[in-house]
Amino acid sequence: MVTATVRRWSAWSPGLEDADAWSNWCVAPTELASGGRPEARFLPAMLRRRCSPLARIMLTAAFDCCEQAELAEVATVFASRHGNINESIDLLDRLAERQPLSPTAFSHTVHNAQAGLFSIAAANRRASSSIAAQRDSFACGFLEAMTLLERDPDRPVLLVVGDVPLAPTFARLVEEPPGSYALGLLLARNSEGTRLNFGLQPQHDPTQPAPWPDAIEFLRWYLSDQSSLVLGSARRSWKWERVQ
Amino acid sequence: MSAVSASRSRNRTRESCSLAAMGIVNALGRGPEEIWPRLLATDQTHFRRRDDLVPDRDLLVAEVSGPLPEIPPRLKRYACRNNALVLAALQQIEKPIADSIEAVGRSRVAVVIGSSTSGVSDAEAAIRQQHATGALSETFYYDQLEFGGASSFVADLLRVDGPAYAISTACSSGSRALATARSLLALDVCDAVIAGASDSLCGLTANGFSSLQVVSDEITNPLSVNRKGLTLGEGAAIFLVTRDSGGIRLCGVGESTEAHHMSAPDPAGHGAEHAMRDALKDAALEPAEIAYLNLHGTGTLLNDAMECAAIDRVFPSPPPCSSTKGLVGHILGGAGAIEAAFCWLMLAERVSGGLDLIPHAFDGQPDPALPRLRLVPSEGLRVPVGPVMTNSFGFGGNNCTLILGAAE
Repeated sequence: MVTATVRRWSAWSPGLEDADAWSNWCVAPTELASGGRPEARFLPAMLRRRCSPLARIMLTAAFDCCEQAELAEVATVFASRHGNINESIDLLDRLAERQPLSPTAFSHTVHNAQAGLFSIAAANRRASSSIAAQRDSFACGFLEAMTLLERDPDRPVLLVVGDVPLAPTFARLVEEPPGSYALGLLLARNSEGTRLNFGLQPQHDPTQPAPWPDAIEFLRWYLSDQSSLVLGSARRSWKWERVQ
Repeated sequence: MSAVSASRSRNRTRESCSLAAMGIVNALGRGPEEIWPRLLATDQTHFRRRDDLVPDRDLLVAEVSGPLPEIPPRLKRYACRNNALVLAALQQIEKPIADSIEAVGRSRVAVVIGSSTSGVSDAEAAIRQQHATGALSETFYYDQLEFGGASSFVADLLRVDGPAYAISTACSSGSRALATARSLLALDVCDAVIAGASDSLCGLTANGFSSLQVVSDEITNPLSVNRKGLTLGEGAAIFLVTRDSGGIRLCGVGESTEAHHMSAPDPAGHGAEHAMRDALKDAALEPAEIAYLNLHGTGTLLNDAMECAAIDRVFPSPPPCSSTKGLVGHILGGAGAIEAAFCWLMLAERVSGGLDLIPHAFDGQPDPALPRLRLVPSEGLRVPVGPVMTNSFGFGGNNCTLILGAAE
């Protein structure tokens, strides 16, 4: 088990844009809505215009999770199952028609585009990783954040997890809960906040997945008084528990 | 003295980890036996032109030739060129991997695979078919396209149940996969990691980089006064990473971002400088102790200028350097792992007289506007055995420098 402290959280989904809205949602949770477009006023207009819908949502969670002075100092992990694949598919459609690509569009579809945009907008030059892990993307993002804390224990890590629904042609190939969302967690080794143990469960016991994404199921647990949470995929289960 | 006791005597805060076995495939061939002599011989005969990647352009690329191993039918959802490259590298180290799984148990083996392309070349074919017929091809699965597919492929192939994920930070993906492997061992979430990276030639990156006007019409010519951009390549390198003592070690990791631009490096090279300094500090080494530096050296005007400037600031007297991009092309998300594999080979092939360094492949006309580096000449250079460094600087300003060493 690895131990870390959650210093702060933030989350965004259409209609669920602040802590009160999420607290109310936790009382009577429903499927998340898709689409939506946070204002993202913290971004310079030129960067904002180029953001994919996912980048806008993930950057909103990122900026909401940090105090001004922390923005340039945190290490970052951006975790997303699909990343900007919808925008990549648009480019593949263009290529199928032998149309040229725009260099700006190309450079904003890479999986680490969110990380690059955050680095520029927050003037952040610290370590940054971008990961994907199919149904384990939230848990593996959490684990990747632990690896950055392992390398630089005194530097908090901002983990941002998010996804938007796949374009229809591809959506029917993938089974997953609906919704557009991002969750931000500011994680540290030792500091004020909620201490959690995290690790793989030795016994894999496939659980029925929640009707919302893992990151949001984690938030629901985090805001509850339950002592532990198990999230699983086909191959493995992950466990979080509060350190009393 | 072993590397471990050396580290203790220097009060390092972290143990290095062992890069216990390595498998590799790229345009130069498959496996160390084919690739090592061709690296030393500065073999540039493996580039070819393809007219099917970028409309109206005969693009010079460093392609892996010949058939790749077949993905087993039970894993057909992962059957794409990118994963076939992973398999070609993995098969070379089947035995040590199997032994390791046997020794530590399936739940204690993790998988971390870097890529910037995943199986996008297969998705391109599927989408072309959709445009022609209205339906995606039947052999296409989303697992081929999504980044997390490669790590699931390896985990399912080897039937291991530890953490499995993909890292995609553009051209630093492969280096970051090795950095993560070392940290996963340090955190004790596993006892062995299958870590590396794979990237495959595809229309998306070929057209993307062409649109950025950084692709050369001739073989890339890093650090030359005549350099005109990069040449794309493909390949994979996969390592078995363990806590074993001895062998070839990952001793240092340095990382930074740039807050500068989405597709161009900071011209001053501050991010590159930070990554190199950070790696030296992490390995508890002085700049003068580095025996060799494998450059990112893409052959673009900007990269080579900023990288040389950064090296000039970090090293009072730079070690012998070379870029291997003129031999295997720029393998993007695979580059960090493949160039770490070249460093690994150099250390593995060390002879009593020292390390045989890989020559710098270019036209022999260094750019006088760049700080002068000591480039490994085409006839080669033998230096005393010491730690070696490799740089990878990615899109979106994501930098990672690794230091490898041999236990004495």
